[in-house]
Amino acid sequence: MQLSAYLIVSAILFTIGVIGVLVRRSPLVIFMSIELMLNAVNLSFVAFSHFLNSADGQMFVFLVLTVAAAEVVVGLAIIVSIFRTRRNIDVDEMNVLRG
Amino acid sequence: MDIATMVAFYVLAVATIASGLGVIVFKDAVHSALSLILTLIFLALFYLQLGAMFIAIVQILIYAGAIMVLFLFVVTMLAPDGDELQRDRISWQRIVGGVLGLSLVGALSYLLFTGASVSAATKAAPADGLQAVVNTQGNIEAFGQALFHGFAFPFEVTSLLIVVAILGAMVFGRRA
Repeated sequence: MQLSAYLIVSAILFTIGVIGVLVRRSPLVIFMSIELMLNAVNLSFVAFSHFLNSADGQMFVFLVLTVAAAEVVVGLAIIVSIFRTRRNIDVDEMNVLRG
Repeated sequence: MDIATMVAFYVLAVATIASGLGVIVFKDAVHSALSLILTLIFLALFYLQLGAMFIAIVQILIYAGAIMVLFLFVVTMLAPDGDELQRDRISWQRIVGGVLGLSLVGALSYLLFTGASVSAATKAAPADGLQAVVNTQGNIEAFGQALFHGFAFPFEVTSLLIVVAILGAMVFGRRA
């Protein structure tokens, strides 16, 4: 398959993630849409690594994977602590900055 | 470019996009998490088709096996409420979201088809590139050589990142 085929699949997955972040109101589903966006970019990186005959794409995927793991840990800790104080995790209700 | 590769690509592409849509469509957050796990596994099959064996296995082990399990812990602990079934504050939100999404896909596809052609870069790829090492020694050796010869410093910095993330999670997880 051509490179542009893989990139179009990656673009469609990225757009699905963007729509999920914009439309959904549960922060967990928003977080999952962000992970979907990261994975769409990973697909682009691996496709470029294959078609440009270079290992740099796979290196970037490795680093993105590590950063995504660290980000998920901290983000879920934030969501849990918000739930502890407010008992509600609807993002439309989170309009006050004080804890 | 044989027919088996094309069929595999199209089947995987349809399955990946369908499960990606399932992430944002399901009302229950647990169903969204399971749909995301399915998407990650289909993406790992894409990586296998593109010859990145190590990244495919790491994706299933780490992403689908550890990160998504963490997600499921938190999703089942926070007891997904039924607030999403109520109306959104902006009633035309989903329509505008869909239109904006279609325009984003259109813009990205336009850039893909009118941007710089990749075939020229592919012909100019070095003879000692990835494929040569993969053909002689395998993908994991090629990945290891690239990681520890060119990317050793970012690799060490990620260990610092992980320590910072662990400390942050511990601080957030304390009882106030």
